[in-house]
Order: sequence, then C-alpha cells, then structure tokens
Amino acid sequence: MAFSNGAESLLSPPRDEEHLVLDRTPSSYNPLLTFNLAKGEKKHYQQQYADMYFARLAQLKPAVEQIAGDAWEDFEVAGETVSKVERVLDVRQGQLCWVVGTIYMEMPLKPNILDDITKDHWIVAPPPRVKFISPSGGDQVMLEDESGRLRLTGSFLPSILLVTGCIVAVLGTENANGDFEVLDLKVPDLPRQPERWERDDGEAALNSKAVKQERTQAGKIAVVSGLGISGDAGDALTLDMLMEYLLGESTSPKDQEQAARISRLIIAGNSLASASPIPGREEAAAKKSGHRKYGYDSSAYNAAPTGHLDVLLSTLLPSIPITLLPGESDPTQTTLPQQPIHPAMFSHSRAYMTLPEQEETGWFDSVTNPWEGDVDGWRLLGTGGQPVDDVFKYVEGDDRLEMMEAMLRWRLCAPTAPDTLFSYPFQDGDPFVIADCPHVYFVGNQPRFDTTVVEGPTGQSVRMIAVPKFRQTGELVLLDAETLEAEVVRFEVFGGD
Amino acid sequence: MAQDYTEWLAINVLNDQQLVNYRSLSRALKVHSNLAKQMLFDFHRKQNAKKPGTVHATYLITGTKRKAIPTPITNDTQSQEDGEDAVMQSSPVLPSSSAAKPEEEDAKSTLVQTVMLVKEEHLEKAQVTFESITGMHIYSLQANGLGDIQALTECNRKIAVDYASEDPLEIWKQYGTIQNPNVKRRTQRRQPPPPTLAPAKDAAPKAKLVSTTSKPAALKKEGSKDSQDSKPASKPTSAKATPEPSKKPPMNKRQGSDIFKSFAKGKTKAQAAQESQESAVSTPKAALEDEQMGGFSDEDETDEVEAAVVEDSTVVNGKSKKDREAELQAMMEQEDEVMEDAAGNSPEIAEPDADEGAIDKPDSQAADEPNETVQVENGRRRGRRRVMRKKTVKDEDGYLVTKEEAAWESFSEDEPAPKKIKVPPTTSMNKPAAAAAGKKSAKPGQGNIMSFFGKK
Repeated sequence: MAFSNGAESLLSPPRDEEHLVLDRTPSSYNPLLTFNLAKGEKKHYQQQYADMYFARLAQLKPAVEQIAGDAWEDFEVAGETVSKVERVLDVRQGQLCWVVGTIYMEMPLKPNILDDITKDHWIVAPPPRVKFISPSGGDQVMLEDESGRLRLTGSFLPSILLVTGCIVAVLGTENANGDFEVLDLKVPDLPRQPERWERDDGEAALNSKAVKQERTQAGKIAVVSGLGISGDAGDALTLDMLMEYLLGESTSPKDQEQAARISRLIIAGNSLASASPIPGREEAAAKKSGHRKYGYDSSAYNAAPTGHLDVLLSTLLPSIPITLLPGESDPTQTTLPQQPIHPAMFSHSRAYMTLPEQEETGWFDSVTNPWEGDVDGWRLLGTGGQPVDDVFKYVEGDDRLEMMEAMLRWRLCAPTAPDTLFSYPFQDGDPFVIADCPHVYFVGNQPRFDTTVVEGPTGQSVRMIAVPKFRQTGELVLLDAETLEAEVVRFEVFGGD
Repeated sequence: MAQDYTEWLAINVLNDQQLVNYRSLSRALKVHSNLAKQMLFDFHRKQNAKKPGTVHATYLITGTKRKAIPTPITNDTQSQEDGEDAVMQSSPVLPSSSAAKPEEEDAKSTLVQTVMLVKEEHLEKAQVTFESITGMHIYSLQANGLGDIQALTECNRKIAVDYASEDPLEIWKQYGTIQNPNVKRRTQRRQPPPPTLAPAKDAAPKAKLVSTTSKPAALKKEGSKDSQDSKPASKPTSAKATPEPSKKPPMNKRQGSDIFKSFAKGKTKAQAAQESQESAVSTPKAALEDEQMGGFSDEDETDEVEAAVVEDSTVVNGKSKKDREAELQAMMEQEDEVMEDAAGNSPEIAEPDADEGAIDKPDSQAADEPNETVQVENGRRRGRRRVMRKKTVKDEDGYLVTKEEAAWESFSEDEPAPKKIKVPPTTSMNKPAAAAAGKKSAKPGQGNIMSFFGKK
C-alpha cells in the first residue's frame, strides 16, 4: 500500500491556500429519436405482430444474401454446387442449396399463455424459468419466411448462438425426414459504421455552417445502471458517495480533477427498485386493501423512491448533464421500446428538461429504452438490459458479452421481441434493426462489469460494455471519449471485520 | 475564520451530538469543500489531543484495489442446470466472431479505482486492502461512535432540506462543486414543493393520524406560501389551520368536499369565506393522511382544486355529499388540460373567492333570495334558480318525516336539466378518465343495467 503524492493534503489543518473550483469538460450531445413512439391516439395496437417479422426480414434479407452469396458462390460438396433458393418451401430433398429466413425456436419451456390459466386454477404457479432450454432436446430450431417453415437439424447448430427472430442464411440440404441439415450459417454481420462526428458534420453542412469545426478534447462518459432506489435506507450511502464523487466535492484534489473530466452521466435503467405501486395479483389477495379514495389506495403507494431519485438528479444536474434510460423496474411501459420517463416524476429536475414543444434537447434528457444517440461524436447504442436478459434465457452459458456480440452481428438490438420480449407492434418497419453500427454498445443491469471490442468485416470496431447493477456492485463505468477505453470506479463502504 | 469552525463544530458535534459531514460544514460556513475537510481534520485532532475519544471520524479513501476477474468458466453456476457443463465458452459462437477469448485472461487481475468509506476504528485494516492510495480525507465527525454507518445519509438529506432555497447555479461555486458553464435551466412558473416532507415520510412508514395532523400546521403554511402567491387571502387560512388538526379524523375525508360544503347553507359566515380557500390547501392534508402522497403532489392537487373552484365559482348549494364527492373524484382524474386552465384562471381566484364570501353572507341571512338570476360567463350560463328538494326530518315522536320544499341552487349551462344534476356534473367534467367513465356507466346504468338482473 503506497501513498501517492499529495494524497494526504487534506489530512492537515486549514492553510491559506487557494482551493480551486474546477470546470467540467463540455459534452457534445445529439440524440436520435429512433425509438420514440407516437403519443396518445396516434399509437395503435390494432395491428398484428407478424408484420414486425416481415419488416425485419425485408430489411435484413439483402444484407444476408450479399454475405451468403459472396461466401458460398463456389461452394461445392461432393461435386455438387450450391444454388440459392428463394423461398423456404422451395427446398428440394437432396438438393444442396441455401436459403434466407427467420429463425424460430420452438421451446416447450417458453412462457405460455396457458401458464397464466394454470395460475387461475392452482394456487401455486410454476416458478419463472431461468432458461428456456429443455433438458432432453425438446427444443427445435426452425427457419421461417413468408412461405413457410423448415425444421433445421444438424450437428452444426449447437455450436452457434441462435434465438427466435434472427435473420440468417443457412446452407445445407433436406434429408429424408424433411428436415434441413445445416452445413453452414451466415448472419448479416455488423452494418456500416459512421465516422466519428459524421452526423454533426452532416447537419452542419446542411445548415451551411463550417464543417471542419475545432473540437475540444472530449472528456469521459460515466455510465451507471441499477441504482435501485427504494424507500428503505439500504444502500443510500453508496448513492451519496456516487453523487459527491460526480459533483467533485469528495476525494482529494487530484481525484476531483479526474472527476471534472467526466462530461456526461448516462443512467441505463432500473433507477427505481419497484415501479408499480399496484401490487401483483398474489400480493393484492394476500393483504387487505387499505382505504380506497379516488379509485386507488394511496397507502399502497410510496412516493419516497421517486422523490429520492428526483433529489439525487437535481443535485447532480447543475454540474453534469444526464441522460436517463428507463429500465424494467422504472415507471414507464413494460413493452419495448420503453418511452421516456415522464417529466412529472421529477418535480425538481424538471427545470432542466425542455418542454415538449421545444426542438432542442434538454440538459436533462429522459430518453427511451433502447436508445441511440451521438455523444462527443461517437454513436452510442444502449439498452436497459431487458433484451440481453431475454437472449440469456434462450442460450446456454452466461457470457453476456457473447450475447451482446451476437446481437450486433444479427443487427438486432432486441431479437426476441416480440416473441418472449414484450414489444409494440410495429407496422412499417422494425426499429430494433441496427441500421448504423454504433461505436459503443452498452447494456445496463448486468450481473458484472465486462467489456471488449468487437471487429467487423469492413473495419468496424465496437466497444461493448456490460454495465453492472450499482445497487449490488457499487460500480460506475467511465468511458473515455477519446480512446473509447472503459474503466470502473467502485464505491463501497468498509464492512468492518 | 479559524475560530468560527472550531466553535461551530464544538456546538454541533459535541453539544448537539449531531452527525456532521464535510458538506454540512461547507454549507454552514460557506466554504470550499476541501477547506471543510481540512477543518474537520483539525478539529478532530485538537479535540482528541485534549481528551482522547471525544470525537469519532469516518474517512474516505480513494485508491486502487486489486480485483481478480472471475472467469466465465469457473464462475458459471447458472449453466450447470440439468447437469450439463457449460459448453459455449471456448468455441467461437458465431462464424465471424472476433472477440478475445476468455481463456487468455484467466488469471489476470485488474486494478480497480475504488472510493471507500470507513470508520476510524477500521482505518488501518481498510488501508491495507488498497494497492495504492491517491487520496484520503475525513468524511464526517460525530461525538459518539457511529453505530450504523448508513446513518450518514442523514447528513446529505438534511442538506437537501435546509439549503433547498439556494440556487445551485449561483451558490454552489463557493462549495467547490464542479461548475458547468453550459448548463441549461428554464425558470419554472411554479416552484417545486419543498422537500420538508421527506423527514416526515421517512420517519413514519405507517400513516399515523396523530403525527400527520401535527404536521399540517407547518405544511399548510408552506403550501399556501409556495403555491398561491396570487392569493392574498391565504393569511387567514394559516390562522385557521391550527383549529383544523383538532377536527376528528373522519372529518378529514370530507375535507375534499369542503369546497362545496362552504357554499352550503347552515355554515357560519366566517367559516364559509375561509373554508373555500382553506379547502384548497386542506386537500393536501387529506392526501397526507393517506400516507405518502407527499408535498410533491400537493402542488398539482391544489391547482386542480383551484380549477374546480373557478368552474363552480358561483355558489353550489344544497348538493348532497355524495354528489360532491363524485364530482371531486371526477375532477381529480381530469386531464392536464384542465390544469392549464387552472394556471390561467388562478389570478381570477382571488376575486371569486372574495365574491363567494360575499355571496355566502347574504345567503345565510336571507334564507331565500327571491331572485332567479342568470349570468353568462365564459360562454356558460350560470345562475341561481328554484328547485324542489326533499328534506327528511326526525319528528318529536321519533318519526322520520319527508317534506318537499323549495331550495335555491346554482347551475351551470352544462347541466341539461335541473333534475339531472347528479349525473351531468360527472359527465360534463368527465373527460377521458377511465375511472370516471366507469362511474358514469354505473350511475345512469343503475337504471338500465341493474334492471337486467332484476331482483336478486
């Protein structure tokens, strides 16, 4: 244990020295509204979900065909060359061919509407499953498109990550059983990655402003998730420590300088421990409902967590801009894409948000989940963790980074929507398709911090970050906006042995 | 200045036995946080030199700690389901995968920057766990040993409450907070409610009427101060606030209806004029009683009730309690559009309130005003008219006698007919609120739907 220089400067009586007030590095911010839904009456739920799959297939089919065509052009097995088949049902027995379609995983352990009915009849419902994988191979993988479905088999399949909803090209032949034996599989892979500052420069060019602007050196972006504020005392102390660190009030002057380089805070979901003041069916039956006034039982609603979050945010906002993504336990929709948490929840922090009519983005930006935007020129894509958690249920293993990488290569930020992940029934297009490859892909509320860089076929490079839950780990992720390196700052209270 | 902090700390830490962290000290003495930390250190050292053990401290250590990365293979407990081993780790899961393989980083451990809070008795042990320390300072001081370290959150909470009136963008510079020149903030038309309620809420999870009724005196003053700048007559409200707590709890439930009660005949003139304003403020109290609907919703409720006041600014007499409650319920579930009206109408409130007081007085004196007046206001017909009402009275023999007599009441154009007063107020003020829609179908439906089921 070594003390670095100046570490003990604050362990001394007050001297007549000048205490500096630092200035924070500015953050350049340009969010996208990819996942914002229409409001009120313009949002319809009449349409079917099947359109989402068709739209997804239509959007990704060209890309996959390109890659598959290039790869398998001269592919030969036992003297037979491979041919492309347009539709899934056109596959002929014994013919070596390749076809593009959507994967559908038939898993008996997937949540079923019949489970809900069981709950009605039996007191104990089956416990929610950690994984949907059935033990004895009851799972089937199918390839589907507008024409029909084709069952996939083969020893190649278990070695790849597949979930319902990914668009792939499979190479193989139909066997005697009518199943398609897979020899090889291709995914769309990473899309085109924009250059840094591309969008800002593009907009500047359109507005006839000087394109080559002088840009100051970018600072660091802080990402945290899973604050899990509930009414109880619990871990409020680590939250206070986080707040003081970001404000630059705690720690030594040298660390404060480091903190001053943090230009933006992104909160990636689950800021509140429990969103719903309405108890679930079991809880409601268990406890006697309190006095109901104006249609709801106000004794069941606890405003303390929201108030606490609001106070925390309004303390941070004068010093640092914040982007807030909702998560699974936050008071907004449960379906993806979750819409921004309403400003009404933040009576103090509201002053830093823009009014709905205003065009510009606010200092405090409450955004959708998933979210896409430009920070300091880099394209960021982030979610609150639900898509990855859902993919986790489909595959064996626990490597979250692997799943995140797979999702990037499938070009889908929420592949299992709408199958097992609740989603809005999009009609015209699937916004979950990743159109531009991000520079940074962060996912919140993961069990532990993990990060790596993923390379793409045309030189793309994505920094993937799995952000851990702050309530459990006390970790804050700092992303250096110049080098795209990620590091962690840990806040803890000494347990005392 | 050197003496100030010693004095201040002596008072707060030693005499008052309070928990003081460097932020409370910096806010109290208006100094830079780093200076406050040094002050704490100095005080701690001096006091303990005089008499050891008088002042206890907690320290904040920043540094790097060594942390081993758990490898996916060894740490994988979830994938052990069904007895299968984790298979997916080593092979590339996608044909084009290029991520670094986990095996290469098996035994690597990384240095993690850590910020740790530690009590002074554990300081040595904590320091040992660090690889290298970049900073250490005193976080807080207290007179006796610190039982639960989580109690330190109290300091920051108190700061949020005590210094809520300070404008962060102007004042926080002196505390050493990192300044941001680009901050954008808009001026709010309405002030957010003060966080005074936080301690009340956190202290008592169960709603105790005793504790809550003792608070409303303070609450009402705040409520009236903050929300109604345009209401000059809020002062008599505060005076009236103190007798309020003495009312029985069941009365509180009816407070929401006070707004109409005040116009009912039979009330004293003094009460009538004031209750109309008081009720606006008293609804927060009613809400408080229902647990943690704290000050944060007071503001909105007050405005909504004001909207109700404006819309029914002419007297509403003789409505039954049930109607008033239903009406209020419908209004509570109104859309925000009405609230915008309220904001615009709030300047008008001062006048109608005064008028209502005036109207009430002659009302109670002259039992029946033989005027049927109709006014046109805001495109609505309003006025007073005669209506036959049934009154049930207990006779001297104990018999209940029902008499029909004429009564005066006010009406609004929205009501299609005087007889149908019960239903239309719900409908007229019933914008797309689902619950109110439910009510609507229940009430007129009681004629239609229930008749389907016949007598059960």
